[in-house]
Amino acid sequence: MTDTARAAAARMPSVGRLLAAQVSYQARLLASGRAITIGVGLPVILLIASHGQHSNTSATGIAGYAAFGLTLTAWNTYGVRLVAAREAGVLKRWRATPLPHWCYFLGRILATVVVAVLAGAATVAAGVLLYGTHLTVSGALGALAAFILGAFAWAATATALTALIPTVEAAAPTLMLTYFPVIIISGIFGAINEPHWLATIASYLPAQPLVHALGSSLGHTAGHALLPARDLVVLAAWAVAGLTAAIATFRWEPHRPAQRRPARQRRQPRPGDRSHQPAKGGHDAPTSLPFAGCASTCVDHYEAIEPSG
Amino acid sequence: MSAIVADRLTKRFGDFAAVDGVSFEVPGGQLAAVLGPNGAGKTTTLEMLEGFLAPTSGTVRVLGTDPHRGDRRWRARIGLVLQSTSLDAELTVRDTLNVFAGLYPIPRPVGEVLELVDLADDAETRVGALSGGQRRRVDVAIGIIGRPDVLFLDEPTTGLDPEARRRAWTAVENLTTTGTTVVLTTHYIDEADHLANRLILLAAGRIVADTTPEGLRAQGGPATIRCRLGDAALADLPATLADLPATLAGHLDRDNHALVVRAEDITAPLRDLLGWADRHHLHLAGLEVGPPSLEDAYLAAIGEPRSTEGALS
Repeated sequence: MTDTARAAAARMPSVGRLLAAQVSYQARLLASGRAITIGVGLPVILLIASHGQHSNTSATGIAGYAAFGLTLTAWNTYGVRLVAAREAGVLKRWRATPLPHWCYFLGRILATVVVAVLAGAATVAAGVLLYGTHLTVSGALGALAAFILGAFAWAATATALTALIPTVEAAAPTLMLTYFPVIIISGIFGAINEPHWLATIASYLPAQPLVHALGSSLGHTAGHALLPARDLVVLAAWAVAGLTAAIATFRWEPHRPAQRRPARQRRQPRPGDRSHQPAKGGHDAPTSLPFAGCASTCVDHYEAIEPSG
Repeated sequence: MSAIVADRLTKRFGDFAAVDGVSFEVPGGQLAAVLGPNGAGKTTTLEMLEGFLAPTSGTVRVLGTDPHRGDRRWRARIGLVLQSTSLDAELTVRDTLNVFAGLYPIPRPVGEVLELVDLADDAETRVGALSGGQRRRVDVAIGIIGRPDVLFLDEPTTGLDPEARRRAWTAVENLTTTGTTVVLTTHYIDEADHLANRLILLAAGRIVADTTPEGLRAQGGPATIRCRLGDAALADLPATLADLPATLAGHLDRDNHALVVRAEDITAPLRDLLGWADRHHLHLAGLEVGPPSLEDAYLAAIGEPRSTEGALS
């Protein structure tokens, strides 16, 4: 049986297997990059540095630092890497494989969720170990749910934003400028209640509901909601809106700056020309046909003629 | 049935026709090289065959399918190596190939592919730590790991050193023995000459020749005598040059320090050259006598001047 016949008879790998493999692959890439150390290390360092400030070592304070680690990973690290991969042609290469496009797209987002949740969990673990913060099983499960929903919302929205970022150089500034103002007004480093209108805006952005949901879970007490419904609705809305916008605007190919190229000059047909259907329209500029490389490979084989004495 | 059929394929970007009414067919199992200068439309043509670009007009079929609408079963039968290396750098070569192998119904064993592209010794090296030539071979490995029926190679050896190019050529040659149809774009005439049994020459978005290496060479005109002249011969030995026979004197190219004679019958100028060298005790270590070069035929086909000015036929 020929290769072609065997391939035709063979079954394509299942999309479930492909998606699982892609999540695993992307998570390994993300976890092995140096950038991930910021998402995991920086929140823990800040948590240690804030030792003595009671409000920052409480459940709410730890929730803020955990949300910081999670969002750093799901927004900045993920976003910069996605733009870099697109501009390097990595996305284009994957697009040409038999992997369904949505598998690649969703695989990157889900892998980011996995790593971002681990980054957030590392901060919570540090808080529990360093400050003895009491954490119940239900509180931990509630925090996990908030982590997953929050990470998905941030990564999906970051995916949509990357469509607007033309170069790797522009990625970090764009992502930072859209990140720090949001997390600061959302109270990740301490609650900001005034002015009231700012707090209202923050409550509709994805950071404040994440911090609030995490704080409710980590400091859960009987009689209070483990996960406030309003926070979950806001995060879910960002997840759906981010994913929808990302699907609609996702770009696989590197950004190509607009160029003004002259129209081709019509060349005189030669015997043996195989092209057909002469183009219509103006051809008013000469076309340069530089050909580098050929001469060096084909010509420079001569030795000098020198007198033999 | 042809593996690839392009019919009046045209791609415009605004007023600019990058590809302008190109038609050709590539039978299954053939290795076709698409040659042309920068901006000739090679990559644009290839990207329409690969499904990255939709033609402005005309039609293209690869394995009977419109590439722009190819499903994943079709993509599993296509291999490609893009013009620039595009790989994630963090994992090892083996891990990377394992991931790509998992996308195909019957992939080649990773060990076999590593041998085929001569990367077995670097299997456990991170992709990011490889040299440019080694990364290019990983590109080729990914392109062939799914046992493609059609393989597109876009300038696969640009930037490689001569040894790496030879290794890449060997890998491509091995593929053609399995019946894979290969379409290759290249800047290098010698690469096309070595690998391809079909040459499609593009210039300014149009096909200017569709032939074989032998056919192109035959279009190159008369046979050629070439000799590079050393500085000493030109500057310090005016008497030697003054004695150059009449059949050769008109073919001296002082700017390029070369003597290039093109003639239908080279017997007389060759006899005169040997006699002149013997009289003046000159070594002719670099003398070349041969058929017209493929490069000259190529340059003539795309409408460029010959490579060495001053040569007369």
